[in-house]
Amino acid sequence: MDIIVSQLMTGLSIASILMLVALGLAVIYGVTGVINLAHGEFVMLGAYAAWALQTEFGMGLLASLVPIFIIMAAVGWLVEVLVISRLYDRLLDTILATWGIGVMAQQAVRLAAGGELRYVQMPEPLSKSVTILGATDSAYRLFILFVALALFAVTWVIYRHTNFGLKLRAITQNRAVASSYGINASRIYRLTFAYGAGLAGLAGALVSPLKSVSPEMGTNYVVDAFMVVVLGGTQSLMGTLASSGILGELSGYLAFYSNDTIAKALVLLAIVVLIRFRPQGLFTARVRT
Amino acid sequence: MSGKTKTEIVICAAVCLAILLVPVFMNDSFLLNKYARYLVLGMLAIALSLSWGYAGILNLGQATTFGLGSYCMAMALKLKTIPIHTGPDGLPDFMVWNNVPELPWFWKPFYSTTFGVTAGIVIPLLFAALLGWFMFRGRVTGVYAAITTLAAMVVVQLVIIDQQAYTGGFNGITDLAQFDVAGFAFDAYGSASYYLVAICLTASLFLALAVTKSKAGLIVQAIRDQEDRVRFFGYDVALYKIFIFSVSGAIAGLAGMLYTIVMEFASPTFMGVPLSLSVVIWVAVGGRQSLVGAMLGALIVAGMQGALSESETFLDSWTLVMGLLFVLVVLFLPKGIAGAVETITARFERRDPAPAQQPQRTDAAGAGTHHLESLP
Amino acid sequence: MTKASAQLVVDKAKVSFSGFVAVSDLTLRVAQGELRCLIGPNGAGKTTALDLICGKTRLAAGEVYFQDKPIHRLSEHAIARTGIGRKFQVPSVFRDLSVRDNLQIGRSASPGVLSNLFRFRQSRDKADIERLAELVGLEDELGTPAAHLSHGQTQWLEIALILAQNPLLILMDEPTAGMTQQETKKTADLFCRLRGKHTLIVVEHDMGFVRDIAQTISVMHQGKLLAEGTISEIESNQAVRDAYLGSGGIGHA
Repeated sequence: MDIIVSQLMTGLSIASILMLVALGLAVIYGVTGVINLAHGEFVMLGAYAAWALQTEFGMGLLASLVPIFIIMAAVGWLVEVLVISRLYDRLLDTILATWGIGVMAQQAVRLAAGGELRYVQMPEPLSKSVTILGATDSAYRLFILFVALALFAVTWVIYRHTNFGLKLRAITQNRAVASSYGINASRIYRLTFAYGAGLAGLAGALVSPLKSVSPEMGTNYVVDAFMVVVLGGTQSLMGTLASSGILGELSGYLAFYSNDTIAKALVLLAIVVLIRFRPQGLFTARVRT
Repeated sequence: MSGKTKTEIVICAAVCLAILLVPVFMNDSFLLNKYARYLVLGMLAIALSLSWGYAGILNLGQATTFGLGSYCMAMALKLKTIPIHTGPDGLPDFMVWNNVPELPWFWKPFYSTTFGVTAGIVIPLLFAALLGWFMFRGRVTGVYAAITTLAAMVVVQLVIIDQQAYTGGFNGITDLAQFDVAGFAFDAYGSASYYLVAICLTASLFLALAVTKSKAGLIVQAIRDQEDRVRFFGYDVALYKIFIFSVSGAIAGLAGMLYTIVMEFASPTFMGVPLSLSVVIWVAVGGRQSLVGAMLGALIVAGMQGALSESETFLDSWTLVMGLLFVLVVLFLPKGIAGAVETITARFERRDPAPAQQPQRTDAAGAGTHHLESLP
Repeated sequence: MTKASAQLVVDKAKVSFSGFVAVSDLTLRVAQGELRCLIGPNGAGKTTALDLICGKTRLAAGEVYFQDKPIHRLSEHAIARTGIGRKFQVPSVFRDLSVRDNLQIGRSASPGVLSNLFRFRQSRDKADIERLAELVGLEDELGTPAAHLSHGQTQWLEIALILAQNPLLILMDEPTAGMTQQETKKTADLFCRLRGKHTLIVVEHDMGFVRDIAQTISVMHQGKLLAEGTISEIESNQAVRDAYLGSGGIGHA
């Protein structure tokens, strides 16, 4: 019993991290159609921000979350203004530009903070472990699960129940028509991008105590996040939630039972097959084009 | 033949001639080897320009076919080292270390160098054709095609690293014999290897040029422009894309083989994400819609990187500068340096008093104009 | 009328998009060499009718026969190779390529990869292309990228592309949209010349134009065929009048 629960909890923990990282990417891709290859670097920057605030200013991780969100949202806003906003009519090129931005971010951090691994302290009250149904789990992992769900809920409410979300959905449907009704699409895209970047920063800060922080850490995250988005469907937040859950449990299981390299290759193969046969994701209905 | 085509042929011929003449003026064997390496990368850029610039397929896994070619050559050259770098039963050294009892069946044909060279073109070609068939028959386009090529490359690389006993794993295949044809050996540092690479480069460039100038090449460009429209003229769009993707794969495979000859080893990094993305940068900087531009882009950027890599601090800031340069090129020179040159010469030509100018032509310079590309 | 006497037979065709039925129970028979006009109020399913013939959308039910062979399961390019050409409502040419290159693409009599790999600019092609360009008034624009043509010129270019393709059956979706009166007149003349040699199905809103060219008119309404007949039969048909009532009469449809 407790082995099953513990396996389930490992999966949930992976799922919550996946979801944290993927949410920002999903929001940006779903609304603007931009595949932000710098997303992993946004996550990395969030983690470094947590490290810097802790070592330079002695701020605890929890206290630094809000400033990190604001800093990363500002970074995202800037990137949107300077680069992305010029590329909405050639989406394939956004892959290239965001990849270039990622390279720059990685290298800038390497030059500024050094290439060695950095460690971020876990918040004191959460460093204990708790027991659920006979299985022990770290309180911090449960905390991440809680935050991931909370952020999802906030995003959902913004998307479904606010005036901003309504405009956003209108633009996603048809940018030209929405603009002609006086919706400022550029501003909405900019805010969306900033919000997505802020979420990525939060994800980075939150995972930083669990994993070592390095300039290259973003690369794996962007692949994972992209998988979640492809699996969940690009227009569906609920899809993102479901696919994080599925992928989290699946990778927990795969890591437990098989060779890591082959597991990774199999997951990539699964993406390739999924793109080929269900490019709209598992959780979206086919629409008239 | 139009004037523009003639100019292109003249430019290509001049560039190739200049490349072929380099050893006449210089016989530093270390430098010749280095230049030969850049030329190989130039071939890789030609391959990407074909699929990305002409057919609109952004292949983020161009290094897969390059790496496959490289491994084919390395396998053939490894077996030629018997018995110097091998175990007691004539097995390659890394197989002995991994307790492989006998040479696996798929290694055996590589005793023949002819087979190795043929395989170095045919296997990458078949791989590209198969991946192309899988993607294009299913109408995977745009961003999704780019991601598929990237994922497929990582899968191949992971398998090669994982199967250490048969592939040398992370270390690749090292300690190779020299490539030789009828007793004539190509020393990686000799001018013969340089000429071999330069001739293959010239051949690839003109082959690619011929393909793009044929009607098939024109149809491929029409597919890039508006894929759905082309179908209704009766052209099998997927087949054309598979074709150009395979030609691109074959050229990359040839380049990979040559890379093994000049580098003297094969490594899984030859089919890695960093190399693949570097090729994309070179081609973007040089000009994706110009074969010779893409090739020169590779020579210039890789050459600059090589020149600066002597110093650690330079290399660090170089990566930063590269990233910035790349973003700027994507933003402001979507057709790269070649596109910019074309725009400027077009502007000069229009200054000449040409009586039959049409009013529409005054804005013909729009190299930067792009229209909406919709996602699949 | 038997299947044999018509070149194109659309039999009880139905098209739906995730539940929304765009065309249902549509039956059309078009004889070889006929010029058929397809009219109807907005949303009647006219464009979808052309789409289902050329394979752009798939049938949920029903069949399409062209020259007595079923074509509704073929892929788009295979349908085109049976001799069906299509002009789209939004003029759809290759904007990055020159007018000359566009016309080259249009000449698709041998569409295979290999046959086109060893084909470079041939003199016979050149003469044909210049003749076509002259026909549509683009002879001075052969080197111009299609992106730099005016809207009317783009319409003409796409018509020229179809002529270069030289199909047995031509499907035209609003060929005169964006054309001046003179140009419309020229188009009408061209269509009248094509009639007989080619079979044409023309979707059009401009009733003046329809009067100029039509032999038989099919009227669609809400995805179904409402009426079929000569121009005077259609104009006196009560059901047609009722269908157009909401949209200000048949002349303004």
